[in-house]
Amino acid sequence: MGTGVLAVLLTTLVAQAQPTSLLSERLAAVAPGDTIRVVGGIYPGPLRITKPVVLLGEQAPVIDGRGQGTVVIIEAPDVVLQGFVIRNSGRSLDRENAGIAVHADRVTIADNRIENVLFGIYLRQADSCRILRNTIEGDPTLDTPRRGDLIRLWYSNNALIQDNTTRYGRDVVIWFARGIVLRGNTIQFGRYGLHFMYSDSSRIERNRMLHNSVGAYLMYSTRLTFRRNLLAYNRHASAIGVGLKDMDEVTFEENVLVDNQIGIFIDNSPRAIDAQIRYLGNVVAYNDIGVQALQDAPRSIFRDNSLLENYEQVDLVGGGRFSEANGTFWERNYWSDYRGYDADRDGYGDVPYRAVALFDALTDRTPAFRLFAFSPAVQALELAARAFPVIRPEPKLIDVAPRMQPLLPEGIPAVPRRPRPVLALGGLALLLIGGLTIGSARLRRLR
Amino acid sequence: MTTTTVRATVSLLARKELHDALRNRWFVLYTVVFAVLALALSWIGLAGGQLYGLAGFGRTTASLINLIMLIVPLMGLTLGALSLALEREQGTLLYILAQPVVPGEVLLGKLLGLAIALTAALSIGFGLSGLLLAWRGSPIGLGAYLGLFGLTILLALLSLSLGILFSSALPRTATALGSALFAWLLLVFLGDLGLLGSALALRISVEQLFTFSLLNPLQVFKVAAILLLRSDLQVLGPAGQYAMHLYGWRLLPLSTSVLLLWTLIPLILAYLFFRRRGAL
Repeated sequence: MGTGVLAVLLTTLVAQAQPTSLLSERLAAVAPGDTIRVVGGIYPGPLRITKPVVLLGEQAPVIDGRGQGTVVIIEAPDVVLQGFVIRNSGRSLDRENAGIAVHADRVTIADNRIENVLFGIYLRQADSCRILRNTIEGDPTLDTPRRGDLIRLWYSNNALIQDNTTRYGRDVVIWFARGIVLRGNTIQFGRYGLHFMYSDSSRIERNRMLHNSVGAYLMYSTRLTFRRNLLAYNRHASAIGVGLKDMDEVTFEENVLVDNQIGIFIDNSPRAIDAQIRYLGNVVAYNDIGVQALQDAPRSIFRDNSLLENYEQVDLVGGGRFSEANGTFWERNYWSDYRGYDADRDGYGDVPYRAVALFDALTDRTPAFRLFAFSPAVQALELAARAFPVIRPEPKLIDVAPRMQPLLPEGIPAVPRRPRPVLALGGLALLLIGGLTIGSARLRRLR
Repeated sequence: MTTTTVRATVSLLARKELHDALRNRWFVLYTVVFAVLALALSWIGLAGGQLYGLAGFGRTTASLINLIMLIVPLMGLTLGALSLALEREQGTLLYILAQPVVPGEVLLGKLLGLAIALTAALSIGFGLSGLLLAWRGSPIGLGAYLGLFGLTILLALLSLSLGILFSSALPRTATALGSALFAWLLLVFLGDLGLLGSALALRISVEQLFTFSLLNPLQVFKVAAILLLRSDLQVLGPAGQYAMHLYGWRLLPLSTSVLLLWTLIPLILAYLFFRRRGAL
């Protein structure tokens, strides 16, 4: 207790002892390569860093942009900026006001809290930078299109972006950047969780993109590894978990796509005639549409995926079927609507899975008929289609030996499910009302 | 006649109707079937939802709505159809009407008694599955759960009043019951299939499709239930988006009033028929 009070007192003293302009003065005074320790305090922005220095913030010193322009501008290479609170940037979209703007190579931005900014961390022609463990929050009062991108890479190669958390931004943008590693980040409540274009040879893994309009839109790039990401609750008008547009050579592996409007959306991928896309061991569950392909998904392998309880498992827009002649293979996936058996007990069904839902065939051609989803009439129609093959449509895909059990990748943290006492009380109340009404009526009759 | 005596008469008749309903084997069967199926569906729906503790509104959860749409109208329609017609055939209706009561009181008493019986039956089914959902930590909140219960009660009342209309208008139990079953078939299957077929043939627009679908009270129930559980209608495709864009959350009071209208109008018609026809 005593030490706590002392610490607070000390912090106040130190903060008061440092005039607000001190930070830029101290910066001017040091030699390149020096380390500056900043203990607490509030400093006005903008702060311009023009020497390769290490800035270490202790006890969360604040750099406040006071709603004007960009707060911290880094123009020298090898700068380290660590442990600061950076807040209140300007709101001008065309001047791209940001929390931190980086225009130099090999800059490290770590453990900062960036709040109430338009853009968050903006790398422009800055190679080999590292963005680590930052928390970045935009301004939730702005409409999403009026917000900025909380992390934005523009012609900045070989960046490592790891363990950051962003909320209430527009997108996380990675454009025209090679060799990016995006790992362990949590991106929530934005427009595009990840807006990824013209960035080859990148690796995106163990990220969580939740509650965005689109989890990740991957476009016009090649040699991408996208694995072990969680994409959930991405819902809005025409929302998707992951979209692939004109992508080549993608390994899309062990991702979990849950409760999005569309799980995986495939548009003209692969584009190159010799490119392939591999979808391996993904879990696609509880989406309105599990996998949606525009017209076709040639040279694509879907293996060991688990398609669980999507209202429509696979949608081929415009109807028709996936063709093995074009190189589309569906192998050993788990289908929650599979009605086959496994007599030889090898873990794979003995009858092929055929995606032949009559209603799906109807809605693929006329999406407006989705209105009749969940109607008993549609169930009756499906039953009739199963019983009388005359009206059964062509299967849009055939999985010759589907899995009997879903294959769930390990190591993705579970969300604990707690019992819900309020709901239990509600249920109990209804049960009591019903029971008592019937009970009392019966008793009275007996008397 | 004073209001007190009216109230006493109605409540007496309602209690008699409640007793009769509880003795009715169909009613007991419906109650048990609904409770068992609701429990089973909630169980299956959540068994899949154990995945990472993330659960959505899968096919199985949707089948709960399906179950309600199948069984609840059947309960209401058959019980309603039997109510007057059976007593008319057995001659007890003549006996009741020989007492100092007016047709309105008899009708109201029947409605109230059956409504209470149906509510009790549904609350047992809902209560059991609610307890299960709570225990397994379902994503459905209390508000949505109670809202769905309320909507289901409305659906039960609606089909009950339709059943009573058949019962008051048609002379024999068999015809009343037959018409009620046909109405059920029409509401649950033929209406939607017909609209699907004509939409295919006539290429009607999304707006028209949505508007026409609302002629079927079951579709109204479905749209409201999905809105409650999901808080949007994306799952219903372009028509759902259109409805959401046009009405938003106003859909809920709107559909509630449509369901109430569907309850009131058949009741008024039933009253007119019953007053004219009496015990014959």
